[in-house]
Amino acid sequence: MMLSRETAGGRWRIRPDGPDKVTGRLAYLTDLAAPDMLYGLVLRSPHLHARIRAIRTELAAALPGVHAVLTHRDVPGLNAFGISRQDQPVFCFDLVRYVGDAVAAVAAETIETAERALELIEVEYEPLPVLDTPEKALAEDAPKLHPQGNVMHSNAYKRGDVEAAFAACAHVVEETYSTPRQMHTYMETEGGLFVPEPDGRLTVYAPTQHGLLDRLQLARILAVPEERIRVVSSPIGGSFGGKDELNIQPYGALLALAAGRPVKIHNSRRESVRAGLKRHPMTIAMKTGIDASGRLLAHRVRIVADTGPYATLGAEVLNFAAEHAIGPYRYANVDVESVSVYTNNGMSGEFRGFGGNQAIFALEGQMDRLAELIGMDPWEFRLLNLRRMGDPGPYGQTIAQTDGAYQVWQKLKESALWHQRKIGGRCAGGRDADVRDAGGKGSGERKTAASAAAVPGNSGGNARPPWIRTGIGAALVMHGFGFGVGLPDPAAGRLRLAEDGRIEAVFGYEEFGQGLLATLETLMIETFGFAPDDLRLVIGDTDRVPDSGSSTASRTTAMMWQALRQMERPFRRKLLEAAAGLIGKPVESLALGPGGVMSANGGQRLIRYADIAGKTAEPIAVETHFHFPTSDTDKFGAHFLYSYSAVAVKVEVDELTGRVRVLEQYHAVAAGPVVNPQGYIGQIEGGSGMALGYALMEDAIMENGRYLTGNLDTYLIPTIADLSGSTAVEPIEDLPDGDPYGPRGIGEIGSVGLAPAIAAAVYDATGVRVNRLPINPALLIRKPEELWKAVSGQ
Amino acid sequence: MAMKEQAPGRCPEVWRPRDAAEACRLKTAFGPDGVFTAGGTLLRTQWESGSAAMPGTLIDLTAIPGLAGIRADEGQLVIGPLVKLSELMRTEAVATAFPLLAEAVRRIGAPSVRNLATIGGNVASAVGDALPALLVHEAELLWHTGGRTETTALEDWLADPGRAQGVRLLTGIRLKRTDAEAPGGPPGRIVGAYRKLGRREAFTPSLVTIAVLGRLSEDGTLTGVRMAAGGGSAVPMRLRAAETVLEGARVTPDALVRVSEAVLAEYRPASDAFAGAEYRRTAAANLIAAEWLRLAGAGREGDGR
Repeated sequence: MMLSRETAGGRWRIRPDGPDKVTGRLAYLTDLAAPDMLYGLVLRSPHLHARIRAIRTELAAALPGVHAVLTHRDVPGLNAFGISRQDQPVFCFDLVRYVGDAVAAVAAETIETAERALELIEVEYEPLPVLDTPEKALAEDAPKLHPQGNVMHSNAYKRGDVEAAFAACAHVVEETYSTPRQMHTYMETEGGLFVPEPDGRLTVYAPTQHGLLDRLQLARILAVPEERIRVVSSPIGGSFGGKDELNIQPYGALLALAAGRPVKIHNSRRESVRAGLKRHPMTIAMKTGIDASGRLLAHRVRIVADTGPYATLGAEVLNFAAEHAIGPYRYANVDVESVSVYTNNGMSGEFRGFGGNQAIFALEGQMDRLAELIGMDPWEFRLLNLRRMGDPGPYGQTIAQTDGAYQVWQKLKESALWHQRKIGGRCAGGRDADVRDAGGKGSGERKTAASAAAVPGNSGGNARPPWIRTGIGAALVMHGFGFGVGLPDPAAGRLRLAEDGRIEAVFGYEEFGQGLLATLETLMIETFGFAPDDLRLVIGDTDRVPDSGSSTASRTTAMMWQALRQMERPFRRKLLEAAAGLIGKPVESLALGPGGVMSANGGQRLIRYADIAGKTAEPIAVETHFHFPTSDTDKFGAHFLYSYSAVAVKVEVDELTGRVRVLEQYHAVAAGPVVNPQGYIGQIEGGSGMALGYALMEDAIMENGRYLTGNLDTYLIPTIADLSGSTAVEPIEDLPDGDPYGPRGIGEIGSVGLAPAIAAAVYDATGVRVNRLPINPALLIRKPEELWKAVSGQ
Repeated sequence: MAMKEQAPGRCPEVWRPRDAAEACRLKTAFGPDGVFTAGGTLLRTQWESGSAAMPGTLIDLTAIPGLAGIRADEGQLVIGPLVKLSELMRTEAVATAFPLLAEAVRRIGAPSVRNLATIGGNVASAVGDALPALLVHEAELLWHTGGRTETTALEDWLADPGRAQGVRLLTGIRLKRTDAEAPGGPPGRIVGAYRKLGRREAFTPSLVTIAVLGRLSEDGTLTGVRMAAGGGSAVPMRLRAAETVLEGARVTPDALVRVSEAVLAEYRPASDAFAGAEYRRTAAANLIAAEWLRLAGAGREGDGR
């Protein structure tokens, strides 16, 4: 059944943060101001790669209205940050490695004074050779961007013998896929308010996806105990991975402490583009072979990722890409080698999909090409090679078993959209009209002549012009969530009856628009029977929350569900026992309900929660700490829990211009029970909107290491006009009997499958294979003589 | 006398002249450091991107009477340069007599931009997306040049927008219903189209813009054929050779091939990191040919066959 407002019924709630967001009442952290606040700005490198010879700040410091001018000399603790590897300097001191590198920062009474102060800071640079491609960075004589060299991370996995297997293959497809530097494009750019408190502590109001980790990183930089820092990090105006790593926090914190006054920093869009993370551009070469019956025999993958100047989570992204380049298919022989390379380009890092977007675009492209080689329907070809329940994970590792891969395959096959394709006709001028092959060179050469087609206006009614071609394509996604083997991945939660009678649900998670608060509210209502007004949801404040781990990796809903499952019985028992004691009735006769404790049979309210609060000897509170479930393999990064999706899409290609429009989408998602129907649809639709942009228009183009897309007038993301087609979301909720893990993550999976499905649909429509995103309309545009010859003869 | 408004910080000085002559005097006095402005939408993107420095002085034209409003009389329309794009779109006289212009303007920016941006700025930029529509309507530009008013055909001005010596201010855009467009002209009906190609469906910078206009007779013959193309940083131009191909001709597949070839040879597109010249040339040729094919077909249907 499709998920919608109608089918969700009473579970479709107004999200608690909704009214304030749609009316504009809600204050984001970057909207905050404090009395006596200063404005902070960061001086960033004008060079892609240079040695710093000298930094002089005297003139800037002497400017009236300037309260602090900081460089590497002013970092009391560790002059470096990075979630997993601290290789990014807070302030550069010897080298600058990209045009976003920070060299100094100022705090002044006005933004104009701060801008003037930046101009007065003198930095002498000695430009160095620029490594603006992974190839240049990997050259033997390339200068080293870091002491250990320019290979940030590499990863290899082998089983069987692919070379021997290729020799036995009936068909082999070899293709190289390239993917763009996509920008998260959150509406709220990075920023925050940093307040030195009278008691000597520092309060940081700045978005992040893991407040406690920011606190840890800032404590290292400031050389203070973590407890001296409070990080308030929600609500957030979008993140998508882009605010997971520290961004402006080190500068705001250092400036506020140096000036002894609150400091506000808020990046302009241009500075956000320049300094912020992007999705890793990857080049993925795949060679995949099948036997005469279509069964996969061997799969070889070579991935080169451009990670930019510093690591952040680039290693983990690469690991994820390598694992997902194997995917949900069965092959005896696999050989994956991947490398992520330091360059002087912009920062690459964590981004919704986390390397899966690139890998699965390539992998699904291989499946389509192989199916065609052997003359099979591409979806049936996938089934022939698809994993079944009981199969190990991509690395051969133990995983939590579900039948998700087959379930989404089956649902898509039964979908009305896929049926449109099977009944043929394939709308106007389909893929059998003629075949073109962009091939490895992306040349767009046509193999056979164009077919004749109807002249518009002659066939009457609503005939489609012959240059409008439609096609349908599909892709399958197996997406791991959580961090995987070898990384700390804690989870925790707390429930408490507060003094004022509110039931507090406390988690160290963040609300960045995904609907976390709505999901938590729904879980509390449906688990316990509370009313929304009974609840206080506490998140995003390191002084108040347990270490629930990060709000990343599609993990929060699953972790909240599991935490509540652990806390449900003890918390219910404590509340009921307290009520029983106060009203003198047996515990068994009582039940939790909206507003208070009820009679278990009659449903009549017997005592309000407010009348229980404070009346018990012991506080009514429970807390749980546990670790995200992981596989027993020692393969670093291997996942244990997976979600599955199958995506079908119908596109229209205008061969006058080569432009592609998405007409219709269908998503089958197997991820366990739907916790929050509105949030579920939001994640799949929102993710697929990002995938549409990734497939058709988004690329933060760099030329010589500098962004050509400095703002949203050149970096284009889809608007409502591009997203006007219909989107159906069909969740598959059932899990194997006894499954203890509950809802699976869906925060990222929607952003993965649509791009390869669009590529398949474009091929269906035009006969042109694309191996590079975003799809270049120049490959799909037809030359006039071809177009108008097709019209002649009518 | 203009009021000088001192703005704090780094903002330019803003002068608000009361008439065109004063605006020109201010411009003469400030030279390159004084910049005419009205909606300011294009200037702001230039300042933000760093492609132009914020000048020391802005000469705000919005207080000058006579530069606003649309005057229609005797088959002609004079559009004041201060007319906002959103106002232009909504003006009945524009939509009925010059629908290509209304369509072109509707495709510029987003509502918030169109509520600020003026048609004068779009024209004066020499790369505005309204220009191909104005070109096929054979618009004339009215200028205040110190003491007098000068009239230039838009096409002539676009041939070299920087050519004119001395300070001048755009005071009007005149659209005349010429023979080909006038009701009661030669037999047949007026047909036309405007298309904009961008990198997304809406609120997008243009890659290619085209406009076509002509009179289609009952037997399918075209006369008064006009075509123009621009887009991106390309200065829009009439496509005279392509026009010649279709003048007095019918829309046949062969004619479409020859029109396309003429466009490919004649159109001088922009090129940037987002789209190359070859792609833009092909797209312009295809869009123009496809519009003629559609218009010819619609014309036949319009005959009630």
